Amino acid sequence: MSRRYLDPETLAGISGLDLVAKTVVEGFIAGLHRSPDFGFSQEFAEYRAYSEGDDLRHVDWNVFARTERCYLKRYRGETNTRLTVLIDASASMGYGSHRVNKLEYARYLAASLFYMAHRQRDAAGIIVFDDQVRNHLAPSSRHGQLLRLLYALERIELGVRTDFRKPFLHFQQFLFRPGIVAAISDFYQDPELVIKTIEPLRFRGNELVLFHLLDPQEIAPGFKRPVLLVDMEDEQAMDVSPEYAQTEYRARIDGHIENLRASAKRAGMDYFLLDTSRPLDEALREYLVVRRGRM
Amino acid sequence: MGLFSPWFLAGLAAVGLPVYFHLLRKHKSPPLPFSSLMFFEPRTQSSIQHRRLQYILLFTLRTLLLVLLVLAFAGPFIMGGPAAAGGGRRLVVVAIDNSFSMRQGGRLEQARQQALQVLAGLRPEDRAQVLAFSRQVSVMSEPSGDQAVLRGAVSAIEPTDSRSSYGDLVRALRSVVQSAQVPVEVHLFSDLQKTSMPAGFAELALPAGASLKLHPVGEANMPNWAVEAVTAPARVDGKGGARVQAVIAGLGPEAATMRASLVVNGRVIESKSAETPAAGRTTVEFAPFDAPHGASRCQVQIESLDAFPADDRFLFAVERADPARVLFVHESRDTRSPTYFRAALEAAGQASFALDARTAFDLGGVDPASYAFVVLSNVTSVPGPFEEALKKRVQAGGALLIALGPAAAVRGRIPVLETSIVESRYAARQGDRFQMVDWLDTAHPSIHRANRWEGVRFYQVFSVKADNLRVLARLADQTPVLLERQEGEGRVLLFTSTLDNIANDFPLHPAFVPFVEQTARYLSGLDEGRSSMTVDSYFELRRTSGEGAAADVLDPRGGRVLDLSGTAKALGFTLAEEGFYEVRRAGGRRELVAANADRRESNFETIPKDTLALWQNTGEGSAGAQGAPAGESRPSPLWWYVLFVAFVLALAESVVAAGHLSLKKEAA
Repeated sequence: MSRRYLDPETLAGISGLDLVAKTVVEGFIAGLHRSPDFGFSQEFAEYRAYSEGDDLRHVDWNVFARTERCYLKRYRGETNTRLTVLIDASASMGYGSHRVNKLEYARYLAASLFYMAHRQRDAAGIIVFDDQVRNHLAPSSRHGQLLRLLYALERIELGVRTDFRKPFLHFQQFLFRPGIVAAISDFYQDPELVIKTIEPLRFRGNELVLFHLLDPQEIAPGFKRPVLLVDMEDEQAMDVSPEYAQTEYRARIDGHIENLRASAKRAGMDYFLLDTSRPLDEALREYLVVRRGRM
Repeated sequence: MGLFSPWFLAGLAAVGLPVYFHLLRKHKSPPLPFSSLMFFEPRTQSSIQHRRLQYILLFTLRTLLLVLLVLAFAGPFIMGGPAAAGGGRRLVVVAIDNSFSMRQGGRLEQARQQALQVLAGLRPEDRAQVLAFSRQVSVMSEPSGDQAVLRGAVSAIEPTDSRSSYGDLVRALRSVVQSAQVPVEVHLFSDLQKTSMPAGFAELALPAGASLKLHPVGEANMPNWAVEAVTAPARVDGKGGARVQAVIAGLGPEAATMRASLVVNGRVIESKSAETPAAGRTTVEFAPFDAPHGASRCQVQIESLDAFPADDRFLFAVERADPARVLFVHESRDTRSPTYFRAALEAAGQASFALDARTAFDLGGVDPASYAFVVLSNVTSVPGPFEEALKKRVQAGGALLIALGPAAAVRGRIPVLETSIVESRYAARQGDRFQMVDWLDTAHPSIHRANRWEGVRFYQVFSVKADNLRVLARLADQTPVLLERQEGEGRVLLFTSTLDNIANDFPLHPAFVPFVEQTARYLSGLDEGRSSMTVDSYFELRRTSGEGAAADVLDPRGGRVLDLSGTAKALGFTLAEEGFYEVRRAGGRRELVAANADRRESNFETIPKDTLALWQNTGEGSAGAQGAPAGESRPSPLWWYVLFVAFVLALAESVVAAGHLSLKKEAA
């Protein structure tokens, strides 16, 4: 598949998140060089002695018949990775200066992550939040989980405003098993507050990836004349001159991104800034890098 | 570089419109949703920043467009190349009023002195021209820088009895300016009489490149009394005296009582007291006086109460002559027509005629020239010598009335006119078969005061070949009943019916007497004489060009007005000065023509200052280059080029504005 199918503008023309996810992932994989490091095959890896609590479905009964010992047969592509995607559905995620707004991009990204996890038989779940938890699907690798996740993505509606503290306190109870937690948000909060709120998840053995979604107009506003901006979350209005937007604002948003990146790094999190006008493959690559560390 | 109409520069205030729309108008931005204002300052942006110039190119185009439009209306010009002719840096025109009113006191001398002072102040590079104007403009000198020539021209200006006309002066100035090719400075020396203004102020508009400087002379609004008009008969006969009425005008704020006298041939006939109201007129009537035989020099004069005695007299001429003799030729059988004609002439009150009725057989030795006019009433023929003499008389200025009837139709030929009768239209009185007059030329002197021809029945009329005949009256069937032809200097009237109350009943109608009287006065020339005329009017000596009877004219000073050729050929002459002109015609006849100055010259009310200022402004407004270095160049208007550039800018502005207003741009 061509790389052009990873372009957000192109994906916006495809109806159905399942097809979008398939298009993205298949296109992404087809563009990769085959490498043993990624272990996509279902090849045999090792035997491991049965221990209490292991799933009996993985016992190699042929070995048991010959040796009367229980061994679990493990394959290279089989892991215990659990992917939980946290999607910010606050009002600010509805902003977009082109065809795909941030929430749409977040949908495509999450759908692609779910599809990829599904291919690797990872358990995947979703938590939708704004200033509170709006939807929750616990990670699972059961049959039909992908469709449920995609359906949950479809149902996301824009909420009010972002508040990390309240929803994170809430869904810490759902993340009692280690896995990969991908937070997709525009992070219009104090970076220290964001990290401080999310950081406890890492203590439970989770790998945390912050996908920072920003519209190109948010990174580098291109106002050519004075505009009256209205905040999409609190509806506060403010006159903004082009000079300010092109100088002081850019300095401040760049500082915010750097702070968030540095804070995430210090907290051992992965941070990835996503421009909603750019293709999705970079985000998927980031996911695979993180997942590789968990194989 | 200059402006013809600099006051249009006030329109530059319109530049404020684009400044307002682009710079000062409070900017109202459409609200634009944004994800978060977290990184924007929580303060309102300065409105000054909103006033930043938008669409710099559009603003510039619009401002330039307005500036150029205003500039085009202001009339920019640049001074062109060197003048083709003239040589001097400016032409100074000295125009001196020498009309009748300038005779008052020392007005003309005062004007001369002021003019000499102006000429003394000429710069070496200037040239000057001297004009004298009254009814006509006289060029006293060509443009020159020679002081001696110019001073001589000023000194040569003499007073006239004509009326001044500023309209004629301005017309002459236009041609002077047009030919000068340099800025012209007009110095007008005049008493600035209000009565000399033309009917329309537009006639006073000075041409471009001319400026006017006024030099008033004499006392303004000086009170004056004048004999304004005299009504007197130009001709009286032996029946009675001449009745004279005089109008005395008081042209000032004061009433006055004065003696008015009637003077005939230097002898005071009668004096009367006249009370003239302030700024009004009074009429003085003198008793009829017996004027001596021949032409008398008469005048009405008042005692002089003012500083302008020249208009205290009014000249007129009265001629006492024997009754005009009229030769009436008729058939021996016809006794009715002379009876009716004589009765009508004798009933006329204004003039006297002596009718000499003769049959065609009694014309031996009769000279038509000894009669005022001749009537041929329904005659079959006249003796050949008489007809020849009659033709000559008519050609020389005599007059003839021909009435046609059955007798005239026998021969079919109309004497003198050399035309023929075509047919006779007869309607018997039985059964009321008649024709009536359908159309009259009421402008003709014969019919002017005798136009009540309704009810006149014509039973018999004769159609003639109407070659070169002017129809004066026509019947209902379009048959001409009265015609006229100019023969040489004389006139011939043709009545295509009879005067005997047989072929028509015209002699029984009231219109017959005035018709006969007016026709007699017209044919004898008595209605042309006037007791007095105005200076500058034209006196007609003869009606047709070509050589005719000699007429010699002497002016009031006894000099000959016409040269030898003009004596035989001139159609008339202009009465140039006040006094009695003597016209000596062939045959020893002597006429006196009294000429009086136009009495509008007696009114010394001056032109209002506002009007004078407006008059001067016409020159200054149209001559924007006067402030520029004079001479050598003429202003070349640039408004056309400016307007063209403005048009190009308007197109560019449309293109640029269309680009800014496109939906795509707005959305961005």
